[in-house]
Amino acid sequence: MEHYRQNLRAFAAFFVPSAGWLLVFFVVPLAIIFVYSVSETISLTEIKTTWTFENYARLLEPEILTLFWRSLWLAGISTVICLCVGYPVALVIATAPAKVKPWLLLLIILPFWTNLLIRTYALLNILGTRGRLNGLLEWIWTQGDRALTFIGLGAYDLIGEDFEPITFLGRWSGVIIGLVYVHLPFAILPIYASLEKLDRSYLEASLDLGAGQWRTFRSILLPMTMAGVMTAAIITFIPMLGSFLTPALLGRGQVDMIANVIERQFKGANELPFGSAMSLFLLYVTFIILAIQSFAASRGSRRGIK
Amino acid sequence: MPDPIISIQGVSKYFGDFMAVEDITIDIEPGEIFALLGPSGCGKSTLLRMIAGFEDPSEGRVLIGGEDMTGVPANKRPVNMVFQSYAVFPHMTVSQNVAYGLKMDGLPKAEIKEKVAEALEQVHLSQFAARLPDQLSGGQRQRVALARALAKRPRVLLLDEPLSALDAKLRDAMRLELVKLQESVGVSFVMVTHDQSEALAMADRVAVLKDGKLMQLADPMTLYQKPANRFVADFIGRVNFFDVTQSTKGSAEIIAGPLGALTLPAPVTGTGEHVLALRPEYIRLSPAKEGGLTGTLGDVGFQGDSSIVEVTLEGGKQVQALAGPEDTTMLLSLGTGAAVALSIDLSQARLLPA
Ligand SMILES: Nc1ncnc2c1ncn2[C@@H]1O[C@H](COP(=O)(O)OP(=O)(O)OP(=O)(O)O)[C@@H](O)[C@H]1O
Ligand SMILES: [Mg+2]
Repeated sequence: MEHYRQNLRAFAAFFVPSAGWLLVFFVVPLAIIFVYSVSETISLTEIKTTWTFENYARLLEPEILTLFWRSLWLAGISTVICLCVGYPVALVIATAPAKVKPWLLLLIILPFWTNLLIRTYALLNILGTRGRLNGLLEWIWTQGDRALTFIGLGAYDLIGEDFEPITFLGRWSGVIIGLVYVHLPFAILPIYASLEKLDRSYLEASLDLGAGQWRTFRSILLPMTMAGVMTAAIITFIPMLGSFLTPALLGRGQVDMIANVIERQFKGANELPFGSAMSLFLLYVTFIILAIQSFAASRGSRRGIK
Repeated sequence: MPDPIISIQGVSKYFGDFMAVEDITIDIEPGEIFALLGPSGCGKSTLLRMIAGFEDPSEGRVLIGGEDMTGVPANKRPVNMVFQSYAVFPHMTVSQNVAYGLKMDGLPKAEIKEKVAEALEQVHLSQFAARLPDQLSGGQRQRVALARALAKRPRVLLLDEPLSALDAKLRDAMRLELVKLQESVGVSFVMVTHDQSEALAMADRVAVLKDGKLMQLADPMTLYQKPANRFVADFIGRVNFFDVTQSTKGSAEIIAGPLGALTLPAPVTGTGEHVLALRPEYIRLSPAKEGGLTGTLGDVGFQGDSSIVEVTLEGGKQVQALAGPEDTTMLLSLGTGAAVALSIDLSQARLLPA
């Protein structure tokens, strides 16, 4: 890379277009957002840049804090679920026979070939009160009811008189299911990659020294693949925090996350400055998370975990 | 003879259709260094892994201390292994690595501490106890792996190519150190190696494997002097082979081949196609004189204390002879292409099945 000075033109040929792209479509819009975030709405059509911090101060209003808090825990819980589900799946793929492995990986990335909007509508269909999931639950309930009747306990309504469908849509449960569904592949892939890299003989050494399977998982496998787990956590948590479509459709306006409120500032409320401040705040949070992660990673690599 | 510490009884291992280990029966004595020797892919590691419990035999069984190990998982077997890659846990310090196996035994903290210190002492790593593995050299990491396995007081220590990841100089030093260590702890070592000089130098007994089959099991001296077949003779040390036809004439064995008609002093059985194996050190070269066996001098490979000399016999057959320092000087003064006489010590020749 040090040779770029000697070959300035070739370097420029590569550098200028990409730098130009970043400048026009990334830096400039970000700068505009920043300027908006320190501006004031004067009238319905006029916004004046007054270098005020008013918009940032408004982030501390209780309802906004509640919103942030809700976004954080929805994304947090969904991330934890993604990791808990993703790790075993990654483990199954990593230990699968060489012939099966590519097919399993294909299954994981298959959803990416369908548009997110379509997948989310499909989820609506599954999670509705008359959706497939409740259909399945009703079937199970009916079987259970029949079994109870059969053994002579039918009269006691032990599992309720009638089947009551569970409401997912417009509830946080539906939003979490949606977030997990959309982001699960992003959790599986980095964990899989770190498992794949791990030399089997570490696990054998642990068994050889007398540790059982569970102990080996806890003391060797998990710590040695922590880098992959951290990456998985970051690349699921950050987009979840800013996710828009999933809460909009599955939350039905009743489980808003940050992005939904930001959108309303820009579109309906004509509150560009406040929306900009919220957007930038989200960006700052992301930066902080990444900073923590890279700090943790550099400490991890000093301890030999790569 | 004491009861064997490990008894491998008719063990075979298939991977699909492929037979990696074929009907092997070996007893390993307490307190010995036992080497599994063979070329790459001959099934040495697979056999070792079946003792450790990482692979199950397809046929046969493994007994450790007289107990059948069939169905006993690796973490319940009284043996420990030093892996080829060492597999020292990178996220634990040296002493945590050594303590890991002791913790699994549920020993009290104080005792663990004591045993860790003792194990590190044994491999001269006491001052590195608090280091992480990536702050150690390859040789030191190997000693961590050794200490970690030995701290468990296994009945047998299994070593898979223990020296192959070290550079040549360190490898030689570690050979001696491993033998000394084995003498001081007294447990049996079963080591896998593809390096015949390593096996000869370290082991009390060696099993030579080829394509999953046991070719010969003997002490190093016997392997070298009395190889049971062509493969073993060839694999261990340098050797000249002569295709010969044997006929029995009275009690003397007359052999016809590129060396002319010879009479072997040692009794051999059977007649027909055989191969005569002769180590280079039993061929002595001198300036050509009338009669006897002669050849043309080729390259003289100087090795310091001796040299390996190529000679082409009259029929075109190439042989190797070992020359001492004085003979080397003599041969170098004769120069390549000179005629030399060969005198052969037939008492050291081995007649093997072709
Ligand atoms: N899990 C496996 N599946 C299929 N084949 C295997 C497996 N493990 C080993 N083999 C095959 O069995 C044969 C013996 O393998 P093994 O590892 O025991 O060889 P080795 O003697 O230790 O060789 P090296 O000196 O190269 O380590 C090889 O041909 C190898 O390809
Ligand atoms: Mg091997």
